[in-house]
Amino acid sequence: MTVTAITSPDDSRSIKRELTRSLRRRKLQAFVLVAPLLLFILFMFIYPIGGMLLRSVYSPDFARAMPATVAAIAEWPGSGTPPETVWAGVARDMLALQQRNEAGPVAAALNVEMSGARSLVLKTARNAGKLTAPYREAMVTLDPMWNDARIWQAIKRLSSPVTPRFYLAAVDMKVDEAGSIVSQPEDRQIYRSLFLRTLLISGVVTLCCLILGYPVAHLLANLPLRISNILMIFVLLPFWTSLLVRTTAWIVLLQKQGVVNSLLVWSHVLTDETRAELIFNRTGTILAMTHILLPFMILPLYSVMKTVSPVYMKAARSLGANQFVAFTKVYVPQTFAGVAAGCLLVFILAVGYYITPALVGGESGTLISNMIAYHIQKSLNWGLAAALGAILLTAILALYWTFNRLTKIDIIGLG
Amino acid sequence: MEQGRSIVHFVNVGKTYDGERLIVDDLSLEIARGEFLTLLGPSGSGKTTTLMMLAGFETPTRGQILLNGQEINRLAPHRRGIGMVFQNYALFPHMTVAENLAFPLNVRALGKAEVEARVIRALDLVKLGGFAARRPAQLSGGQQQRIAVARALIFEPELVLMDEPLGALDKQLREGMQYEIRELHQRLGVTIVYVTHDQAEALTMSDRIAVFDQGKIQQLASPTELYEKPRTSFVANFVGDNNLMAAEVDTLRSDHLCSVVLEGGAKVIAVATDELMPGQKVMLSVRPERLRLDPDAGAGTSSRLKGVIEEIVYLGDHMRIFVRTANQVRFLIKAANKEPHHGLTKGGMLTFGWSAQDCRALPV
Amino acid sequence: MALPAYVDRWERIWHWVYLTFCALVFLFLFLLLPVLVVVPLSFNAEPYFSFTEGMLTLDPAAYSLRWYRDILQNGMADPTQLFSGWSWIGDAWANSQWIHAAKNSIVIAIGATILSTLLGTVAALGLSQSILPGRRLIMALLISPMIVPIIVTSTSLYFLFSEIGLANTYLGLIVAHAILGTPFVVITVTATLSGFDRSLIRAGQSLGASPLVVFQRVIMPLILPGILSGALFAFGTSFDEVVAVIFLADYDQRTIPRQMWSGLREQISPTILAVATILVAMSILLLTVVELLRRRSERLRGLTA
Repeated sequence: MTVTAITSPDDSRSIKRELTRSLRRRKLQAFVLVAPLLLFILFMFIYPIGGMLLRSVYSPDFARAMPATVAAIAEWPGSGTPPETVWAGVARDMLALQQRNEAGPVAAALNVEMSGARSLVLKTARNAGKLTAPYREAMVTLDPMWNDARIWQAIKRLSSPVTPRFYLAAVDMKVDEAGSIVSQPEDRQIYRSLFLRTLLISGVVTLCCLILGYPVAHLLANLPLRISNILMIFVLLPFWTSLLVRTTAWIVLLQKQGVVNSLLVWSHVLTDETRAELIFNRTGTILAMTHILLPFMILPLYSVMKTVSPVYMKAARSLGANQFVAFTKVYVPQTFAGVAAGCLLVFILAVGYYITPALVGGESGTLISNMIAYHIQKSLNWGLAAALGAILLTAILALYWTFNRLTKIDIIGLG
Repeated sequence: MEQGRSIVHFVNVGKTYDGERLIVDDLSLEIARGEFLTLLGPSGSGKTTTLMMLAGFETPTRGQILLNGQEINRLAPHRRGIGMVFQNYALFPHMTVAENLAFPLNVRALGKAEVEARVIRALDLVKLGGFAARRPAQLSGGQQQRIAVARALIFEPELVLMDEPLGALDKQLREGMQYEIRELHQRLGVTIVYVTHDQAEALTMSDRIAVFDQGKIQQLASPTELYEKPRTSFVANFVGDNNLMAAEVDTLRSDHLCSVVLEGGAKVIAVATDELMPGQKVMLSVRPERLRLDPDAGAGTSSRLKGVIEEIVYLGDHMRIFVRTANQVRFLIKAANKEPHHGLTKGGMLTFGWSAQDCRALPV
Repeated sequence: MALPAYVDRWERIWHWVYLTFCALVFLFLFLLLPVLVVVPLSFNAEPYFSFTEGMLTLDPAAYSLRWYRDILQNGMADPTQLFSGWSWIGDAWANSQWIHAAKNSIVIAIGATILSTLLGTVAALGLSQSILPGRRLIMALLISPMIVPIIVTSTSLYFLFSEIGLANTYLGLIVAHAILGTPFVVITVTATLSGFDRSLIRAGQSLGASPLVVFQRVIMPLILPGILSGALFAFGTSFDEVVAVIFLADYDQRTIPRQMWSGLREQISPTILAVATILVAMSILLLTVVELLRRRSERLRGLTA
């Protein structure tokens, strides 16, 4: 570029000021255009996700519902029997809950900490009006379970609004009676194996998509444009077909009275009594998810393969490589970017999948998303759902971030 | 120049993007009505920025640009009425050729019949009569180029700017288009300001050429003068092939000539281009076709040198001979192929010379 | 793809294996499943999900439109009156569950499409300017609804909407679906703008067009295909979305996918196949429109003759 210094420094400064001002104006103009959507996403998407993540560590509901108890139990060291003030606090809170008809959530929360506590709480709340001092005797008479120190330890744990217990629960751990962190008993461990299963199924689905998608993408990329455009429509058709329609199709095909089983019976491979369980289990989930996610593998593969010039293969052949060597040593490495993008996309989508496993997964084919939904809708253990969601989200973001750093490929731009 | 003859006047125009470096530095330039002016220079020399300031896409940091005597520094481009041909043509891809041509007429709200008539005339002008319904993508590069020219001319601007319009064409097509643009200019009498980095193109087409370097006009002259009488070593080097020798002024003579000492100590006579002082460092410039292989044969040879032939390149109508002198100056000699040159072999010795009138001492 | 003459026998065999494999994948995964199975079974005269003897022998009596009638009848006050007189139309329009769901789907999808297309297009115009500070971060934020698992998005919105009174409202669903749809609009419009030749703007101005006219007659026609295909993506996303609807909608806001979801979970009947067939037909239509738009856009941008 041309280099000539501006003579007067004053002049230079005023010009610079002018330039900075006009630059700022243009930046502002660009930002004003982006601002509406950015604010929309920040307030309607990022903010609620933050709120949900907060729920995984912050749970003031119990403390809010039992103010007298929480105030009193702070004095109790955690071993032996709590003092009478705590008992009185519980009795008072129970009465208030009963009057407001809000004992349910407290019972549910306590039940998560100690099984059997639900009926205890509900029963106590129902009879709260009849309790009189000394409350200890009255409550133990009502239900001897109140004598169990563990119930008081559970109440003390719940009385703190900031808590690690949801994250502990999400990895099958808990704070035991002695206050130390231990694994859940063997028969109550579900989340670790569920996370593992989610990763496993997602991995298998990703692999299946790659095996099926790679040759198809290769074919699409190498056919004349007129033909490949038509075939592309077939790839995109399921993409555009309702997810539920595709899942329905798999149920129709694979269920016990479905098309595949009927065909097998008709061709005497199976009898009516031995119809195969193809769906409502892990097989069904893997089959249906592979089908549904296949386009997400093919599209990035295709767009990368489109850019690989056929000259390289010819060059390899002229240098003495046979078709197989030329393909594996020359062609395949050039498509790694597409493979990586496709695999990441499919894996990320599979890890967070909800609909298909819920419909065709049965008992053994459900994924972590389904468990989150269960805790939101059925068990109402929102803190645990939030903790599971936070782990899932963190895993996906970490995966995405690592991928972006490693490959600098924009998987989003595959449109 | 009074208002009638000058159409554009740059008055001390400067442009900077960062407040420190001047891309265009104190530029003053008058463009005469009806002339074909070329802004020539390497990339980054400020020629395109100058053109963009005239078109209105850049604002001068200082100075004034006058169009027909009116200051237009801050006038929006669409109010200037200046036609422009872009580097990549910038034909609207979603419009047909006819729609592209009609665009400037429609935004000026001309009548339908008038628009149609003018489009037909414009297409005839660039000899693309049957192409009205095509889209730009269906045209060849040369055809797109012609449509771009027709579109810039169709609203009859007084002034048309062309920003490296032939850069994307291959050599043969480019030469044809140079001729056509030149002819259109002569026929329509429109003023054209043309930007290029190709010196041959500039020499072929222009009435005057402004050679840009470092944001300044190094020389503004007709093609002949620019080639024959370059005023700086940059111009001498940028326009045409050239041999340059570092030297020092020894004595000045009355007849615009001066005696200079070459680095090896040899004394030669050269034309003094500027106010030179004895002892001043200069660059001597001699065109390769003015170097003579048989310095003793012709009269007027005032200087001679001796060197080793490094390479001989045969080009049909002429030969290029590269010679290295004892003090390691490399010379290019263009010898016309009108008589056989015997005894020229690679590695052999060669004596060559030139006339004092062909050697110019340029200030460094 | 014809094979060159020099290939040996193993390469030839391998080539055919490869072609057969691709053909099978196309046939079984892309064609057979959604179309070949669902479509004929939706005309089944029996309430089964498998081909009856009669269907296989192409007996006309084994085929019927009863499940298509059922789409209308389901929920009608007096289903027996279907197709007799005119009063059934009002009945179906008011009471049929599927029509109710279709109305909801269309209202929500159109609302979400308008919202996300408006916000997304304007944002893309800003994002396409390299001068925008923090462009990568902003882009990542705007795209994030695509990456975040739908269950996390839905539950988060469920809590937020419960607090601010948007739960079980149409507006809430439109907002939720707009969030999911904007990334598509942002991506397609940004891609279109990145291919946009800025010298066309200058050309327009130099030819005497004011900035407004340049926007209307040069910029808009060239980026419109991008905006439209982004809008179609947003529409498709909303129309197909079910998880957010499960969490954020009441019975009143039930959409077609939500209705199918309950159908698949509760009483599974071939009516769902009839609905699925209609949806397949719609998606073919939608896809054709997108493909035509794409070709038009390529032609306009001069990529093909």
